[in-house]
Amino acid sequence: MQRFVRPQLMLRGSQQTILPTAGQPCRNSISAVPCVRGRGYSVLPPTNDEEEKAMLHRMMRVDHAGEYGANRIYAGQMAVLGCTQTRPLIQEMWDQEKQHLSKFNEILGDNRIRPTLLLPLWNIAGFALGAGSALLGKEGAMACTVAVEESISEHYNSQIRTLMEKDPEKYTELLQMIKEFRDDEMEHHDTGLEHDAESVPGYQLMKAIIQAGCKAAIYVSQRV
Amino acid sequence: MRSLWLDMAALVRGLRAGRVLRGLGSVQGIVSPQCRNVRRGFHRATLLRLADDSKSGTSVPPPSFHEVPTAGESSSSSEPLEDGQPNTSYQDQSGEHGEDYETEEQLQVRILTSALEFVPEHGWTVEAIAAGAETLGLSSASTGMFNNGAGDLVLHFVAQCNAQLAETLAEQHNLVQLGQAESKETAEFLRDAVEMRLRMLIPYIDTWPQAMSILLLPHNIPDSLKHLSTMVDDVWYYAGDRSTDMNWYTRRAALTGIFNTTELVMVQDSSPDFEETWDFLDNRIKDVVNMANTAKQVQATGEALVQGLMGAAITLKNLTGMNQRR
Repeated sequence: MQRFVRPQLMLRGSQQTILPTAGQPCRNSISAVPCVRGRGYSVLPPTNDEEEKAMLHRMMRVDHAGEYGANRIYAGQMAVLGCTQTRPLIQEMWDQEKQHLSKFNEILGDNRIRPTLLLPLWNIAGFALGAGSALLGKEGAMACTVAVEESISEHYNSQIRTLMEKDPEKYTELLQMIKEFRDDEMEHHDTGLEHDAESVPGYQLMKAIIQAGCKAAIYVSQRV
Repeated sequence: MRSLWLDMAALVRGLRAGRVLRGLGSVQGIVSPQCRNVRRGFHRATLLRLADDSKSGTSVPPPSFHEVPTAGESSSSSEPLEDGQPNTSYQDQSGEHGEDYETEEQLQVRILTSALEFVPEHGWTVEAIAAGAETLGLSSASTGMFNNGAGDLVLHFVAQCNAQLAETLAEQHNLVQLGQAESKETAEFLRDAVEMRLRMLIPYIDTWPQAMSILLLPHNIPDSLKHLSTMVDDVWYYAGDRSTDMNWYTRRAALTGIFNTTELVMVQDSSPDFEETWDFLDNRIKDVVNMANTAKQVQATGEALVQGLMGAAITLKNLTGMNQRR
């Protein structure tokens, strides 16, 4: 299981909240997210502008929903194909998605961002999509992966474009993180193609339907 | 001299209307901004004229042109919440004002704060605002600045209480992080936070039903809901909630319910120091904690049950020989 350690980068010109790491156990934290005291930087730049804050929160909310959905899709695929040869492949991609999700959980918790209300829906829909596509065999699962990862990469790209247009200097950290995640998703996309995604019958139709669904999910998660 | 001032006011109004129109994208259901700005200019003119007429040499701050654009506010026109916002006026970007002008929002905040002492006497009404304005040396016609009248006063008070609560919770949070105080259990923390917030109502408890009914007026509901949800979010944040799933919503909904019902109990509580209210609060919090525990137990039981069923199915498959590969 690959684990990449992200170096602690100091954000240029931002507020550094250096919390005293007195080693006191975080008894206050009552959620599933582990306490993240003593981190020296924040991915989102601190801002007082309400509109900018709303935009950043919206972006993080939809990204969080996306990673959550991807997580559930892989869980569904694993449930069906867990006893076959594709298990290690799916496991590897799933682990990376889990890391993405935990990063977004951190960001949402630190910045007091509201998660989308539709999470239970993405829970069920993601699992159903993963399991359903895996029932078509390994090629079906790979086709689903290709379609979803392409949608997510497109979405991250448009977010990168938006941030670059606004102020690349200010959003350096955030841009770096999104670029990293986008590269990971592209890797999954390419892996899916390598493993015979296109040989599933009805590939184009399946891809079109899944991508339409992803677009709708992104649109709705930005607003609810 | 006055005509020159009025010309400048008209010019500024035009410029300001342009800026507000640009910000209209994020505003919902707002009265025509030009209308509001014209009304504002008119009110300030009235203020100045009446103040000049009634008293000479008062310390009335001349109406300033440093007005923060109000894009993003829905119904109420007073913005006591934006005191912390940076002054984005086109005229003066630095925080310093040459001749000690204050913004209209700051003036409104001052008037409303001083109006609070007259609430026990006049209730949550425009008369209280007028009395407050007169204490500051302004004419009672300055109530015209508040389009929402008593609603502005109540919303200002609620915002003030919430800000105080957030400040106290933040201080406690800092003490805990520095190791100078013990962290509390969640239930105890919630109980103390709600009690602290409700105790701020005690000086106004006799007139609070009137305030609650004002908050329930349709045009005040968006603002009062916003205040309530921010307050509940603050309390849970300092209680340590960092959840990013449905728990985020269920916890806040539960606390909103607890807070509202306890508030209702408080307004009709006649026991010494509101003991019955705090007992009620204790019981409600216990209920929520019980429900959360029960939910966890149900989930654990469900999982155990599923595992048992899977085990039984596999045993059956073994017994019938379906699991063998021949």
